[in-house]
Amino acid sequence: MKFSVLCVRGHGARLGRLSSVGHQGSKMLDTPMCMLYTRGGSAPYLGLDMLRKMENIPPVAHIALSHLSDHYEAVQAFQEGVAKFTALKDHLVFTSLHDPAVEVHSGFNEKSGIAIWGKGGKTKIDVDLFIKMQEALLPDWYQALSDGDTSKDTSRKRAGKSVQRTLTFLDQIVERHSQSERLKNSALFGVIEGGYSEKDREHSAKETSARPVSGFIIEGFHNMGPKSEQFRISDVSAIIQKTLNCLPEDKPRLMHGVWPPDQVLEAVELGIDIFDSSYPYLVTERGAALTFSHQYSMNSVSDSEIGHTGFEMDLKDKRYFDDLTPISAHCTCYTCHKKFTRAYINHLLNTSEILAGVLLMIHNFHHYFQFFKSIHSALEENKFEELKEAIQQQKTSVISKDT
Amino acid sequence: MAASRTHALTFKIIAECKTTKARVGKINLPHYHVDTPVFMPVGTQGTLKGLVPEQLVDLDCKIMLGNTYHLGHRPGPELLEKAGGLHKFMNWDRCLLTDSGGFQMVSLLKLAEIKEEGVKFQSPHDGSEMMLTPEKSIEIQNSIGADIMMQLDDVVHSSTTGTRVEEAMHRTIRWVDRCLAANKHPEKQCLFPIVQGGLDPDLRKKCAEELIRRDVDGYAIGGLSGGEEKSHFWRMVTLSTDILPKDKPRYLMGVGFALDLVVCVALGCDMFDCVFPTRTARFGTALVPGGQINLKNKMFAQDFRPIDENCNCSTCRDYTRAYLHTIVTNEAVASSLVTVHNVAYQLNLMTSMQKSIVDNRFPEFIQNFFEEMCPEGDFPEWAVEALKSVNVRLTE
Repeated sequence: MKFSVLCVRGHGARLGRLSSVGHQGSKMLDTPMCMLYTRGGSAPYLGLDMLRKMENIPPVAHIALSHLSDHYEAVQAFQEGVAKFTALKDHLVFTSLHDPAVEVHSGFNEKSGIAIWGKGGKTKIDVDLFIKMQEALLPDWYQALSDGDTSKDTSRKRAGKSVQRTLTFLDQIVERHSQSERLKNSALFGVIEGGYSEKDREHSAKETSARPVSGFIIEGFHNMGPKSEQFRISDVSAIIQKTLNCLPEDKPRLMHGVWPPDQVLEAVELGIDIFDSSYPYLVTERGAALTFSHQYSMNSVSDSEIGHTGFEMDLKDKRYFDDLTPISAHCTCYTCHKKFTRAYINHLLNTSEILAGVLLMIHNFHHYFQFFKSIHSALEENKFEELKEAIQQQKTSVISKDT
Repeated sequence: MAASRTHALTFKIIAECKTTKARVGKINLPHYHVDTPVFMPVGTQGTLKGLVPEQLVDLDCKIMLGNTYHLGHRPGPELLEKAGGLHKFMNWDRCLLTDSGGFQMVSLLKLAEIKEEGVKFQSPHDGSEMMLTPEKSIEIQNSIGADIMMQLDDVVHSSTTGTRVEEAMHRTIRWVDRCLAANKHPEKQCLFPIVQGGLDPDLRKKCAEELIRRDVDGYAIGGLSGGEEKSHFWRMVTLSTDILPKDKPRYLMGVGFALDLVVCVALGCDMFDCVFPTRTARFGTALVPGGQINLKNKMFAQDFRPIDENCNCSTCRDYTRAYLHTIVTNEAVASSLVTVHNVAYQLNLMTSMQKSIVDNRFPEFIQNFFEEMCPEGDFPEWAVEALKSVNVRLTE
């Protein structure tokens, strides 16, 4: 995997390009980017036939080991890797340990391995099993085994331990990786730990970058899941800044989490390149549609027809019962373009029909992916500040004008 | 479609089986046309189990069902009317058929009481007393706007015997006239009466004979598929199709298991519906030639074949049993993927029957179908009898 930073804007926002990624060497990926969030290797609610009806699907599918731990033997027997196994053969695959949309139980990691949680319960993964799984899955790139079970309340001692364990895992994985024929086209991402301790973070960053990794994952600020939507990157921007200062410029940086748009922009500004798309999934799960505007060329938010507060529209709300307009008149997603109405989605939510999830997931993915396109073009046009301003306005202002 | 058509439905027989009572036809309806024999998937609440209408079009599904009881309650007739009917509300521009709501009323609600005026019931939502009359049912169905509507009938469980069955039969006949009179859109919504009469041949016969005197576009056969003995079931079906006019479509309500479909097509039925193929998909059950498989079963964990190698649906093109095994009952998407396949299975079965009837080889089709379904030669006795009645002798 190769990465080059094309330019840096403002304080540290990077426009970058990934190339020679994994098994499909010819693909180029522009950063900042987000990956396609999957559950067990499928986009939530959306089979391949539906994905084909959508545009701008990210080329990288994000698959969590936790979803596949119960089934990796089948993928192993299949031999051709998880992309083909899950019918995502046109996608690149990145494997993380955990699903960012699911809270990770605290207190189960050990020196010998860490716990991941699938449908069948807990699986303890040591380096041996970890490598076996990756060799079965054949990801284009993967997260090294890591102990990210730290948060705000973690003691200094525990934070130091997470760094040490993760480095030990990394050394073993690097060795196994270099000997593995199956993994020769897979890129390894090292994981930066250290909780909220600046010193441990710096240590982790320096040590990890001294090892042969293709990129970095920064974790250990929260335990993932819906609650991590409340995580404010501004609370740790100083630590992250110091951490990133210890990392080489020419390798990509990924941060897992549930990323509302304002948080994405702050993270981009700090110098994070790769993101999850678990946020649009969780918005779908609460019966809402993303409606924030990410137009930055105008002075104010023009989407005044939306009539709601914040970044999303709660379609469970009674006010949409007989609203026969699409979620957004300007949206080009399948759901809006085919004129499925707010009233219809409200009805589907009221009756707990799966189609509500399908239609919302399509819209929310589309909206989020378009947002990342806007981030990209804003950086290219040197208008990142304007985009930030536009998003910031919607975060605080109440747009309550109804149609 | 002639411009001067006064009926919402026209039916043309394309081919008739020379051995059995099976026929192939084309129904023209305001929104689309339907080739028969047809299976109609059930989209109870204005959606079919996680599928967008375009996926049904991709499967070449031409007609589906909505349930009046559910839709009348949510989202309700006012909104449906405002939306321009269910077609527009759910984005489905092909044909729709709605039931009368009576069946759900009797099967879902313990407190339903049937009177001459209609079905009295307690609202499951606010406990208030409500009345579903034939007029009310049609009023709601007019708001829904389906191409084919069903009369409100007096449904009795198929195991009921005695005077109650006779009463229900007579009331059903009285109610059809009230329904016909209440239909505000006869030019774009046709209405089927329903042959009732339980498992009593005389009552069935009487009911059918009375109903065929009405000027309607097609007929339904109701009150069956309620768990009655199959030897009674098929006799009631064949008795009804013997009386019902040849030139109008016959809809056998609630029947949709593959084996039943094949037999009842041979007995002269044209339209079928059943929740089973779509409901069962949620639990990971996929329909295949020869029966069904449950993808949850460990035996599929390393089975890298599609559900059915000869199936052309998007699920079989893209997915293996092994992968589906990992997501069925865990992920919502699995339910949609298996539903796509199961609907494809049902529609393919009907298309195969149409073809074989046109090619005049339906009896061979039946023989092959049964051999695949029952490889041990253990054909169900009722099916053997039923087929014998239409000159097909299954050989082991």
